[in-house]
Order: sequence, then C-alpha cells, then structure tokens
Amino acid sequence: MKEYDVIIVGAGIAGLTAAIYVARANKTVLVLESKIHGGQIINTFKIDNWPGDYGVSGANLMQKIYAQAVDLGAKVEYEDAVGITKKDDKFTVVTDDNEYIAGAVILAMGTEPRKLSEKQTKDAGKRAISYCATCDGALYKGKPVVVVGSGNTAKHEIAYLKNIASEVYHIHHDDPIPEPAVAVFVAIGRVPNTGFLKDFVKMDSKGYVVAGEDCHTSVKGVFVAGDCRTKSVRQLVTASADGAVSAIEAVQYLG
Amino acid sequence: MSEENSIELLDFYADWCGPCQMMKPVVAEFEKAHPEMRVTPINIDDEEELAEKYGVSTIPCFVFLKDGNEVLREAGVVPLKKLEKMWGKING
Repeated sequence: MKEYDVIIVGAGIAGLTAAIYVARANKTVLVLESKIHGGQIINTFKIDNWPGDYGVSGANLMQKIYAQAVDLGAKVEYEDAVGITKKDDKFTVVTDDNEYIAGAVILAMGTEPRKLSEKQTKDAGKRAISYCATCDGALYKGKPVVVVGSGNTAKHEIAYLKNIASEVYHIHHDDPIPEPAVAVFVAIGRVPNTGFLKDFVKMDSKGYVVAGEDCHTSVKGVFVAGDCRTKSVRQLVTASADGAVSAIEAVQYLG
Repeated sequence: MSEENSIELLDFYADWCGPCQMMKPVVAEFEKAHPEMRVTPINIDDEEELAEKYGVSTIPCFVFLKDGNEVLREAGVVPLKKLEKMWGKING
C-alpha cells in the first residue's frame, strides 16, 4: 500500500491548487481523480474573471495548472475514491483499483449537475439527455429541444439554445416532456460529489461538507476545499483560495 | 470506414468543446500505445451526418468499431485507464 503525506480527492482547481501548495511545502502528495483533471471549469470556453489570464479557456487554464502541480512533484492517479477510514493517526483512502495511506486528507470533489428525476427520465424515453447546452447544443441544429429548470442556469441555457435549435421549450422540474423535443437539457442545480464519504465527516442536509474558512472538517486531519464545502460564494478563484488554505492547514497539522 | 479485423476509434469532438480539448492528449497517448488501432477524429461541426448516423448526443464521444461494427462507446471525459479497460474488453 502506497503512503503519502497528503491525499487530495479531486483534481479540479481546488484540488490542484492544494497539490501545488503541499508539494511546495516538501510533502508527498497524491491527487485522486475519477475522470480527468480540470473539474467543472473545463466546460467554460472563455473565463473573464480569473485574474491575470483574461479570456483564457477553462481547458487551457486547467492544463497549465495541472502541469504546474505535476512539475512541482504532485502524483495524479485516475481512480475513483469509494471509501475512507481513519485508524490511529492514519487515513486509508480506498479507490476502485487500490488503497492508499496518508497522514492528512483534503476533500475537493466539487459538485455535479443534479440528475433528471426518475419520472422525467422515463418520460424522456430515447431522447438525448444533456447537462451542458454549450457542450452539446450544436448537435441539435434546427431541431426542437427542451430545457428543464427554473434558475439562472436554465435561463442561460435557453438563451444559448435559441440561436441553434428550431424551438426551445421550457419546463420545470417534474413537468411532462413536450412531445416534439428531441433532446432534453437539464439545468436543475448542482449536488456535491460527497456520496462516498457516507458518515465519515459532518455534512449539511444537502451533502456539502461542513467547514468554515479554515477548511477544517469535523474529523481532525481531514480538510475540505472548493465547491463541496459549505460556503456562500462558489467561484473559480474562491475554490483556488480554499485549495491554498486547506493545504497550509494540512501541512501545519502534519507538523 | 474500417477494414476487416481492424479496430477503429471514432473520436467525436468540436474545437469549442473544452472537455474534448482535455481528452486530446489522453487519446494521443492511447493511440501511441496501440499502433494497430486507427483513430479517426470527427469534428461534429464538419461531419453532422456522421454524428447523426452514430447517434452522438453528447461530446466528447468515443465509439469503438471492430470490423466496422460498433462494439463499445463512452461519452464524456474518461481517463486513459478506462480507455485501456475498454480495449481489454474488445480484445479479451
């Protein structure tokens, strides 16, 4: 079983910033990522609120941050974390392929789109279901589509798709899917990727890991960074800031 | 599109698709590891008919063909490990 000073779960902006800080503190660090590094921001074509790199694409920015973390010594493994336990002062993180040991853990799994309800999924039948209009909208040029959701994201998706689709229907959570629509675009909020934690740390009723600005969770030695933490502002720059705070706190905890 | 006894990977992408850009180096590494496989990048903006023919509803989308017939597919970003697992299934 491989042992690291710090294991970070999630390779989005929070996780990779944390990895940079841990590596620079001369501690060994493993980042676990179930899909690909980059996180949610890779879906954004142009970022205008990341200081110093005006207009950069999410993918380009995250490739640079990934390269920086790896260059500084972070190890990244593409494995899905499925469990975590604590024994004495060591943590074991179990993935779909391996088990790893660490002295401290930083949780940075981010969030994912809330899935369509069972009823609407059944109603959608063989229609395509998408959670990103800017990613998949172009596949439905001149065809009728429907957007599910009532928040700001849904409004943006509708505005975007109106320039592409022949018709954009708009329905709310649990409304029937309009017959002519060939694709369903879902924008009904996001949920934290904290399922694998079960009861390991304290979470709120929505599944966000409870922690203040110091990123300390209810378990000593476990820290949380980015969008899966209880907080009011979820931006790229605040997720990155969490990464720095959690890493500094983790390094201090290790001594 | 495919010759007999061949494995081909159709890589549906678009230039403006961030997740597709993230997958480029992963696909390149996968291709390097399996020189016997043909990788065909398909830009959905230029090849609308092909995207429709293969029922691509989200990108990136990876469709494996064996002897010209679809055997496996995966939509969205995937790590190299997963592509390797798919390769193992096809050749297992």
